[in-house]
Amino acid sequence: MIPVIGLVIGIAAGLLFQPTVPTDLQPYLPIAIVAALDAVIGALRALGERRFNDRVFVVSFISNVVIAAFMVFLGDQLGVGSQLSTGVVVVLGIRIFANAAAIRRRIFHA
Amino acid sequence: MADPETPERAVGLLEQIADTALDDDYYVVRAGSAGPSREFNTVLTGVVLAVFALLVAIAAIQTRSDRPATERERATLISDIGSRKELLAGREETADRLRSQVADLQSAVISIDPALEEVRLLAADGQAKGPGVRVTAVPGSGLSGDITDRDLQILVNTFWYAGAEAISLNGQRIGTTTSIHNAGGVIKVNYVAIGAPFDLEVIGDPETLEDRFDDTPTGRLWEQRRSSAAIRFDVTGSDDLSVGAAPKDRLTIRHAKAIEGGA
Repeated sequence: MIPVIGLVIGIAAGLLFQPTVPTDLQPYLPIAIVAALDAVIGALRALGERRFNDRVFVVSFISNVVIAAFMVFLGDQLGVGSQLSTGVVVVLGIRIFANAAAIRRRIFHA
Repeated sequence: MADPETPERAVGLLEQIADTALDDDYYVVRAGSAGPSREFNTVLTGVVLAVFALLVAIAAIQTRSDRPATERERATLISDIGSRKELLAGREETADRLRSQVADLQSAVISIDPALEEVRLLAADGQAKGPGVRVTAVPGSGLSGDITDRDLQILVNTFWYAGAEAISLNGQRIGTTTSIHNAGGVIKVNYVAIGAPFDLEVIGDPETLEDRFDDTPTGRLWEQRRSSAAIRFDVTGSDDLSVGAAPKDRLTIRHAKAIEGGA
């Protein structure tokens, strides 16, 4: 119940306050969201496999976001920002699809 | 999953990513018996999910609020294109106007042209044709049978006097700066060497030319030389003579300048 409330609160806060992202941080937001999505899908799969652990979830979430943002930052500094972002998105995308496939197998047995 | 202690077998990078899609930590923790709460329904999870939702919401709102800016940019570009098109139309109009002006001026020039043609005719700048007389002079025998540059000068001069409008000597048109002179035994006209027989084409009224030439001392002299020194000298009228243009370097004026209004 609490996670659902958390989701609702997050969306409500975003809609209510409509905070603007500083221009310096704008390039990191999309990558951070993809990384966070990976952590969330991983958590859902772990939940389905009955091995969910909230601490692992928190750590993986934060580390994913931070590392993804850092890689984009590093890429920007090296002049390969877009390429490195693509790399991050590809890897995270594969993980998301693999986890989603595992969830699907568990639910539909297919 | 592989034992974390043993090194992974070398597999394709993408396969490995897909195989280890779920963080190993989830498995590791399960192995430990005294793991922390596996509860999903905790405040910690709720907070993280709230952060996640917040991130997504912020990104969505940001993208949505960026759209008007993009739209505005688009509108600006469209209006830019419109104003440029107007500018282009204006320029094209100007070009059309100038083009018609050029055409007008050209037609005006063409109406002036006859005068120009006349001046060119006067200046021996261009071919000319018309009726006239053809004069042939071939040297005879003896010292007095020679035809010198002086003889030719006088001959040409006499034909100018007789009413010639254009003269060419052995194909060399006599222009305003043409000279006939002797250089090392060779007669040169327009700095081009010529030799006997001397062939003079004179454009003018054939009868006047012949009559007036015969009346001059020069005409009488040549007549006399014909009989005494066996010089061949013929003057024949012709209805259709044509003379060439004087060479370009005999038409180039470098120092003389026209005085304005000095008719």
